[in-house]
Amino acid sequence: MKEKDNDIIEQLDGGEYKYGFTSDIETEYIRRGLDEGVVRLISQKKGEPEWLLELRLKAFRHWQTMELPTWAHLNIPEIDFQDIIYYAAPKKQQPKAGTVEDIDPELKRTFDKLGIPLEEQLALSGVAVDAVMDSTSVKTTFKETLAEKGIIFCSMSEAVRDYPELVRKYLGSVVSYADNFYSALNTAVFSDGSFCYIPKGVRCPMELSTYFRINAAGTGQFERTLIVADEGSYVSYLEGCTAPRRDENQLHAAVVEIVVLRDAEVKYSTVQNWYPGDKDGKGGIYNFVTKRGVCHENARLSWTQVETGSAITWKYPSCVLMGDNSVGEFYSVAMTNNYQQADTGTKMIHIGRNTRSRIVSKGISAGRSENSYRGMVKVAKGADNARNYSQCDSLLIGDRCGAHTFPVIDSRNSSAVLEHEATTSKISEEQLFYCNQRGLSTEDAVGLIVNGYAKEVLNKLPMEFAVEAQKLLAISLEGSVG
Amino acid sequence: MRVSELIENCALHNFSGGDIVANSDAAQPLVSVNPSTLKVRVAEGVKAQLVLLHTKPTQASVEVDLAEGASLSLSDFYLAGTFAEVKVSQSSSSECRMVVVQLGDANVLYDIALNGRGAESSLNGVFVGTDSEHSVFDLTTRHNVSDCRSESLVKGVVSGRATGEFRGMVYVAQDAQRTDARQTSRNVEIGNMAHIITKPQLEIYADDVKCSHGATVGQIDDDAILYMRQRGLSEQTARRVLLEGFVGDVLQRCDVCDELCTALAAEVESKLERL
Amino acid sequence: MLKVKNLHASVGDKEILRGINLEVKAGEVHAIMGPNGSGKSTLASVLAGNEKFTVTAGEATFEGKNILEMSIEDRARMGLFLGFQYPVEIPGVSMANFMKMAVAEQRKFRGEEPLSTSEFLRLMREKSAVVELDAKLTSRSVTEGFSGGEKKKNEIFQMAMLDPKLAILDETDSGLDIDALRIVATGVTKLHTPQNATVVITHYQRLLDYIVPDFDHVLYKGRIIYTGDQSLALKLEKEGYDWLINDYKE
Repeated sequence: MKEKDNDIIEQLDGGEYKYGFTSDIETEYIRRGLDEGVVRLISQKKGEPEWLLELRLKAFRHWQTMELPTWAHLNIPEIDFQDIIYYAAPKKQQPKAGTVEDIDPELKRTFDKLGIPLEEQLALSGVAVDAVMDSTSVKTTFKETLAEKGIIFCSMSEAVRDYPELVRKYLGSVVSYADNFYSALNTAVFSDGSFCYIPKGVRCPMELSTYFRINAAGTGQFERTLIVADEGSYVSYLEGCTAPRRDENQLHAAVVEIVVLRDAEVKYSTVQNWYPGDKDGKGGIYNFVTKRGVCHENARLSWTQVETGSAITWKYPSCVLMGDNSVGEFYSVAMTNNYQQADTGTKMIHIGRNTRSRIVSKGISAGRSENSYRGMVKVAKGADNARNYSQCDSLLIGDRCGAHTFPVIDSRNSSAVLEHEATTSKISEEQLFYCNQRGLSTEDAVGLIVNGYAKEVLNKLPMEFAVEAQKLLAISLEGSVG
Repeated sequence: MRVSELIENCALHNFSGGDIVANSDAAQPLVSVNPSTLKVRVAEGVKAQLVLLHTKPTQASVEVDLAEGASLSLSDFYLAGTFAEVKVSQSSSSECRMVVVQLGDANVLYDIALNGRGAESSLNGVFVGTDSEHSVFDLTTRHNVSDCRSESLVKGVVSGRATGEFRGMVYVAQDAQRTDARQTSRNVEIGNMAHIITKPQLEIYADDVKCSHGATVGQIDDDAILYMRQRGLSEQTARRVLLEGFVGDVLQRCDVCDELCTALAAEVESKLERL
Repeated sequence: MLKVKNLHASVGDKEILRGINLEVKAGEVHAIMGPNGSGKSTLASVLAGNEKFTVTAGEATFEGKNILEMSIEDRARMGLFLGFQYPVEIPGVSMANFMKMAVAEQRKFRGEEPLSTSEFLRLMREKSAVVELDAKLTSRSVTEGFSGGEKKKNEIFQMAMLDPKLAILDETDSGLDIDALRIVATGVTKLHTPQNATVVITHYQRLLDYIVPDFDHVLYKGRIIYTGDQSLALKLEKEGYDWLINDYKE
């Protein structure tokens, strides 16, 4: 079986990271390193109002007093925060994201290659895309169509300029700069990201999507996403990420804030496929992300994530169930291979009455990777009749990887009913044999079994992306069974 | 008879500290009341019973070593806010069955290391906290080698302003294949000021394993109360009966001398009545 | 024995019982039938005192006492027994111990001496024979791991133990195979005396093949819309409820 494992792991390496190419785009960089001058420079480049600069400076000063979080089950090499370029943008980019013709053809080719055409007529029907390259948004599609319904979907920079009241009201209202080390860093240097506002009672007619691409070397990406779903509205939001294959590690520290007002519903799906590093663990993205949403009365927030990329993932999309009868959900597939490390999970904070949450986490570890689920379910004193059900499963492929589960249940209300279950298993030889006997290659069999294992989560993704995610899992995993 | 009286009249051997070596199968359990430091070694193939009774808020450090094929039944009872550390290390094919009852704000750490193939560990525990007590039940089970089994079930009941904390960890070392480990934490909160924290954790570095854990926090089952009241039991009695049933299966596993078990059950009952 | 006048009850904002009138005398057997959702189980729950329901109007007396003011356990101790449609599992509590407490509470309420252990065990043996209940089941936890049939038999066994004046059996026949049904029905018949009364709530006619009621009531939308004798049940079995419901325009 040992030999078979190796076979399979080798096959897995054959599963090329197909987004590893680099684009030759003229890029504008600012100087390396981080100090107040750099923070001011970023703000100035974006022509920001005074209040935002103030916020950035406050965050930066606070960040300087903070220490790196070390509680995760991760082995993070020392990061030299002075050796990062905090702002890089494709040069020909106009301050206003204009028509497709205004965009650098090379940029357009890059996104075409990634399967994200920037021309609306070629785009996936029913998906509006905000394409972010390095530090800036290059193009947002279907803006006009959405505007007819009063939906605002644009880059964060545009939002700061065009909808300052909305941004000012909600930016930092869910994730404060002082929340953690990376949220402070992000607040100080964030360059772009997406902003989305769904007006009262509007059901967004198409999927909204942001596609993040890191291209420039030596840079970090610090994007900021803010989604506000006004009372009774609905939106489904998708996020995809890729980066070139490089030997160095690059830092990606994003913040996503979601405000779900009364009776509204937001579905947020992520297919994270940052460059994971090579089979010896060289290179890859450090993905240190803070994602959180607040649910008001009767609101519903559902996180779905498929995490296959990044050298290190540190990510806990959470729900603050503030309003009565609000619902939070977290569906996750986290897959690690080679030397990847992931410490991911969620927090469900029950504050309102009759709040419900559900957690389904499927971890898959292969190679020499480390994969941890970390979750917290907290029930505050006044959260009468809170309910949570958590199911966290781990699948091990090979005997040199680790699968860990670190849940915390903290209840201060005696009417709460909370359940957590976890299991750990491996793909059995019997299952493989059975598939082989029916003519499937081991590689296909593993893909099949893993997809079956992850199905409950994959089913939560919008259809086009579910297919994509399934392929992604199979590619990242091809073969590594034990 | 109360446990304290039982101790007064205790005709059993009482080791308060130092080393004990069990070299042959003993008919009588070894009993230690309020040990401060205690080392117990059960020799190869020997079957022994050990009872630890903690009646004072002191500190205790207990080390138990099971040689190959040894078998130990360990009953550990806390009637006061003791701080205790109990380390169990097991050689191959040894078996350790533990029953732990924690009444009051004891803070207890168990560290069970399965160091020899085929070792088995089972632990059944219960903690009951009232008023402003804070009970901590910390349990780490280390599967350091292959082919070991462990199973634990810890039940907690807290009322008043009490806090009950369960911290569990099942660690499976690399190459500790064919590990079978289960850990369960079940808790009941009574009243609106009580606080339960439970952290059942798994850290696994081998792939051919059967590991699972479960944790629940809940309340007294209203339908069961209703049912019992329809049969004529008062609400208060129904609650007590339900709680006794909840912790009962743990107490039933207590297999040391009847006198002690009965006395202990009485202690638990009177504690439950205060909930 | 039981007199119910214009009883209204609701759960939350929803009114479920909308004016029930019913009189049950000693020695009688009543059947209450009706389609799903008509309020049959609610009536049973309200009479037993389930606090989930709010009585909004009307009265109910048992042995001349207003039971609506009484706690659920006091009603039980007076001799009102409810056989649950879904008996509750109580892990860790043995049936024997549970019954011992229930019997003791009832005797205390009536001012009687508690039974000695041997008297109690004799009673258990005697009564478990009534429903052909496996003696082993009584040592198990209350209904935990019991099959559906065992749970229902166990309800009748408890009824035998507590010897109620009025037994309300809520869908005791549902989910029973034919043998279990016979055992349950014969048990109920055996326990029937001129001094007590039984109200059988059922969805099907088939239980009434074994327990012959003196009165058959049809409950619909929270009211008793028709009362007849055994022939009514037969007609319902054959023709369903539609003819009655069509007859009954609000």
